[in-house]
Amino acid sequence: MSILAGRYGQVAFDSGPASPVNPQVIASINTWKLSLKTNYEDVSCFGDTNKVYVPGLRDISGSYGGFWNSAELTPIHASNLTTPGYLQLTPNSNEPTFLFGGLAYLDADIDCSMSAPKITGSFVAAGPWVTP
Amino acid sequence: MSDSSDIDAAISARLLGDATLMALMPDGVFFDEAAQNAQKFVLISLLDEHDEPIFGARGYEDALYLVKAVALSSSGANVKAAAARIDALLEDQPLTVAGYTWMTVHRETRVRMAEVDDVDPSIRWQHRGGHYRVQFSLGS
Repeated sequence: MSILAGRYGQVAFDSGPASPVNPQVIASINTWKLSLKTNYEDVSCFGDTNKVYVPGLRDISGSYGGFWNSAELTPIHASNLTTPGYLQLTPNSNEPTFLFGGLAYLDADIDCSMSAPKITGSFVAAGPWVTP
Repeated sequence: MSDSSDIDAAISARLLGDATLMALMPDGVFFDEAAQNAQKFVLISLLDEHDEPIFGARGYEDALYLVKAVALSSSGANVKAAAARIDALLEDQPLTVAGYTWMTVHRETRVRMAEVDDVDPSIRWQHRGGHYRVQFSLGS
């Protein structure tokens, strides 16, 4: 497999996930980031020659961004959900089986200036996620 | 189908279609280079263009055009009035282009200069107009 272009990334969301989930691509998005950082507990003891850690839970969170589009209000509505939706992040839609997804809460920010209005937001996991 | 050249054409058509401007600059509207022997005309050049991407598509096209009235000094042309008319026709005035949605047309920089003719140094050309930011998003 080769390195792929970023042009075909996707962010999709299902606000009322049932089984199977049905995430719909959010329009006018051009960036997403996913963090899969695990916190580590310091368990160093007397006599250790260096610090020693053991893993805790992996924290899943991230961000997304794009342009404000009045025909695409999914991020705005998602920011007000009291139950988590299903968020699906795809690095490249030409490899549709390589994706990251799970229950998540989203928020949203709109940045209006003299350039095209932008929408950004962050998310946190609200349940187990699938990864490649 | 979105054809970027249609944006060029829409700007040109807007200027060409205005009787007031054409009375001031009767030799017409040209891209980059005027016709031989033209003395009073409007010149359009695409200075810079950037396509802003979104996932899977082009989000919007962001172009900077130089639009100016150009006239031979001895022709008696009123480049001041022509530049003002160009501004009235373009600034914040929506353009319709198939396959696109208009976002903005506005001036970013004013242009005014006198040019010495390359062939005959006794001749001066007056240039007046501006750099216009033109943005169109993809899709109608």
